[in-house]
Amino acid sequence: MEPQAGLLIIYGITNVALVLFTAPFFEGVLRKVTAQVQSRKGPPVLQPYFDLLKLLGKEDIEVGENPTMQRFAAYLSLAAILTVATLVPMGTGIPMNRAGDTILLIYLLTLCGIATLFAGMAAGSLYSLVGMSREMMAMMTLEPLLAAGLVIASIHAGSLRLDAVMNGAIYGTGAFPLSGLMMLGVLLFSLQGFVGRLPFDITEAETEIMEGPLMEYSGPKLALFKYLQMAKLVVYSAIFIALFAPWGNTLFFPLNLGIFLIKVLVLVLLVTLVAAIHPRYRIDQAIRYFAGMFIISVVALIFAVCGL
Amino acid sequence: MTAANAILLALVISAAGALITLLFSKNKAVAGWISFFITALSGLLAIYAAATVLLSGPGEAVTILSLPAAGSAFRIYVDGLSAIFLGLIATIAILSAFFSISYMEHYKEYGVARYYPYFLLFVAGMYGIVTVTDMMVFFFIFWQLMTLSSYALVRYEYKKRGNVRAANKYLLMMQIACLLIMAASGMLAESSATIGTETVQQYDFDAIRHGLPGLLQSSSGLVTIAFLLYLVGFGIKAGMWPFGQMWLPDAHPAAPSPVSSLLSGVMIKTGVYGLMRSFLWLIPENALPYYPNRGWGLIIAVIGTITLFIGTMQALKQEQSKRLLAFHSIGQVGYILLGLGACIALISTGWRNEAVMGLAAIAFYGAIFHTINHGTFKSLLFLNAGSMLYATDTQDLNKLGGLIKYMPVTAVMTLIASFSIAGVPLFNGFASKWSIYVATILGSSTAPYLGVCALFAILTSVITLASFMKFFGVSFLSRTSALVAQKASRKPLLEVNWMMQFPQLILAALCLVFGIIPIGAYQLIEQALDSSQQGLAAGLAKMPLANLDGVVGIASTGGTALFDPLVLIIVLGIMFLAAMVISRLGGAQKRVDEPWLCGYAQDGEQHRYGAHHLYSGIKRYFRWIGGKPGTHL
Repeated sequence: MEPQAGLLIIYGITNVALVLFTAPFFEGVLRKVTAQVQSRKGPPVLQPYFDLLKLLGKEDIEVGENPTMQRFAAYLSLAAILTVATLVPMGTGIPMNRAGDTILLIYLLTLCGIATLFAGMAAGSLYSLVGMSREMMAMMTLEPLLAAGLVIASIHAGSLRLDAVMNGAIYGTGAFPLSGLMMLGVLLFSLQGFVGRLPFDITEAETEIMEGPLMEYSGPKLALFKYLQMAKLVVYSAIFIALFAPWGNTLFFPLNLGIFLIKVLVLVLLVTLVAAIHPRYRIDQAIRYFAGMFIISVVALIFAVCGL
Repeated sequence: MTAANAILLALVISAAGALITLLFSKNKAVAGWISFFITALSGLLAIYAAATVLLSGPGEAVTILSLPAAGSAFRIYVDGLSAIFLGLIATIAILSAFFSISYMEHYKEYGVARYYPYFLLFVAGMYGIVTVTDMMVFFFIFWQLMTLSSYALVRYEYKKRGNVRAANKYLLMMQIACLLIMAASGMLAESSATIGTETVQQYDFDAIRHGLPGLLQSSSGLVTIAFLLYLVGFGIKAGMWPFGQMWLPDAHPAAPSPVSSLLSGVMIKTGVYGLMRSFLWLIPENALPYYPNRGWGLIIAVIGTITLFIGTMQALKQEQSKRLLAFHSIGQVGYILLGLGACIALISTGWRNEAVMGLAAIAFYGAIFHTINHGTFKSLLFLNAGSMLYATDTQDLNKLGGLIKYMPVTAVMTLIASFSIAGVPLFNGFASKWSIYVATILGSSTAPYLGVCALFAILTSVITLASFMKFFGVSFLSRTSALVAQKASRKPLLEVNWMMQFPQLILAALCLVFGIIPIGAYQLIEQALDSSQQGLAAGLAKMPLANLDGVVGIASTGGTALFDPLVLIIVLGIMFLAAMVISRLGGAQKRVDEPWLCGYAQDGEQHRYGAHHLYSGIKRYFRWIGGKPGTHL
């Protein structure tokens, strides 16, 4: 049975609020644990909240080639990821289930990337263009992986509807869900790339190209991009959970929400541990790595269309 | 006035107009305005014909001249499929004729006596090819009219040797295509036939269709060869891999920009039209059991996938604006072929199965919707590139940069077109790609290879995005280049005049309208299918549009996929506002300042990061795929 429109709006507000309020917390956990792994003390877990508040109050210096486009890019970055949040189940229902499907989800995720691309191009400096070029190359190799996962899940579900697909459909109904397990491996090993963390934080690469596309940003607009990076942690985890570990969504409120947050925390800890012990890859190494993943996911897709 | 008569009148007006513009060709502006009015008049007649057919069904075919000895007749018949293509050709032709008036003034060395007359004949040739039913003599006449006049337009700047070479190559390929198509028709044609009360000649489309069920049963090998010839012949015209690469990337940039937009936006679509006519419309429903459409669907879908991937990957390497767009035309035709192939493949197995048949219908909707959309955004992009060329005298993206300050209107138009072709949601390219993906992903339970094709199509869509981020980014954003700074020092605003902006505004508006209200386009296509009761199209027409309660957007039959742009606009808008509010929460002060250049004194031309450098990490893994960035101008 389809939920009422009012309930969908409540789901939507819940999802957006969840991303906005918990994302800095997960970022804080990530920083703290990274520090512990690297034998440092690390900032308090709430530090990212303070960072965002501080940036929101800082002077907003517009130095790029085209300030209008830079502003547009900054607003688009957060707007896109929050819109994606309404297409993904986060413990409760899917708010935009009646307005879009899996294909829209794939394309809206590129919209977040487009915001970063615009940021880089509108700034116009050498480093930001290098960063923009890297971001685009990363998107070209990463997006097909997620698309493959969603396409396989859709083929198994026989539908592109979000409620049918984002429900563990990737495992299909077979006794041994080969294609689903292959995609689990692929997406697990490329999760770092999706959330833009080490060893795949090639776009920003602070020590190398000085945050690339974000180089000419400061103050509140920088805060929006930082928010985007934190929100990606939650949103991509939510997509991962919906595809591979959707169990517990049918429980009563607020237990379902609690289980969801615990699952996100587990994934964030995983991302943190990998990031803390790996140095950054070069872009060509990353492309080769993800190209290998792509070949595996094409094989998985072939298995999926053959019913495996 | 019936639709067929309106088309006949449009053809006569265009031919007469060609003579009149030739007489007035001494004065560029006068010839330009006359040509515009004639294009508008004939275009409105074509649109009238299309609208009549869509609203009240196809009328009677009109036979003007019969040549029984040659087995041919000059017979005009406008049905739903013709109507869609007529509307597209007329719209783009009128807009590019208007764009030409100002644009042609920047050719100092060349007069317009070799431009406007050919322009009018070219458009007339296209009207003819999508309405004439004869597949031999009069097909030849209109094909040659279209080819020879566009050949003249491609070699307009005949003093450049590269352009003449491109034009010759184009002419050769089109003659081969013509030969193949006529050979195929010759193989299929048997004898004249009497359909209803009308007797049609041997080489008429309806006569061939009438005899096809018998031919399929008696000599299926012959029919297969004939259809293969159709596929190659129309494929050459459409830009299908590997034939498109042989002429298209050289011919499109060589022509003046308004003509490039006609070549790329509509002329290559006559190839698509031919493929749809031969592979769907030519097959009567009772011949379906003998027609190996599963195989044809496989071939066309796979070739489509190869075309879209290779064409787009080659486009990614390009550094000349119009050459880049030309390669993308190949890539986008690949999407159309994929949709068409999926439709043909799904029809065969699912004729009685409503769910599969619904997917075949949505594949067809996707193919023809993408044809319309590609017509609008690619024409727009060529007009954008033309405006840039007009303002800066170069097609070299490496020499451009920071144009948004000097050409703000063109910049916004280019952005809309780039988003459309890259398939950003809420722009028209997304809606048609969506339809193709739905059909291919869900259709993979019937034809398994379609799922793999869909993944490559999604991958290619990201490559398209990369290419257009480059196209838009390095020319309009990025640092102001030395060339742009020098041009701007002579003239503060490089923006083209309103006469060149206006056609771009209309096309950009169309991109947005079809993107936000795709159901409008769907209804148009449904109407077109309802008014073409020939062959397999009649079966497709029986599939009703899926309507889901409370969803205003588009949906597949059975509601297994849906997309509602209006809700998306609202949600995205609210989130955008939320982002703006959040950024203002701290009450931060704004200040404009010079960028910090890491201690270096200035950011010189040699430090600019241009089109050549972008994506080098990807490009070097795809050297084998070909498509060397050529140099024009």
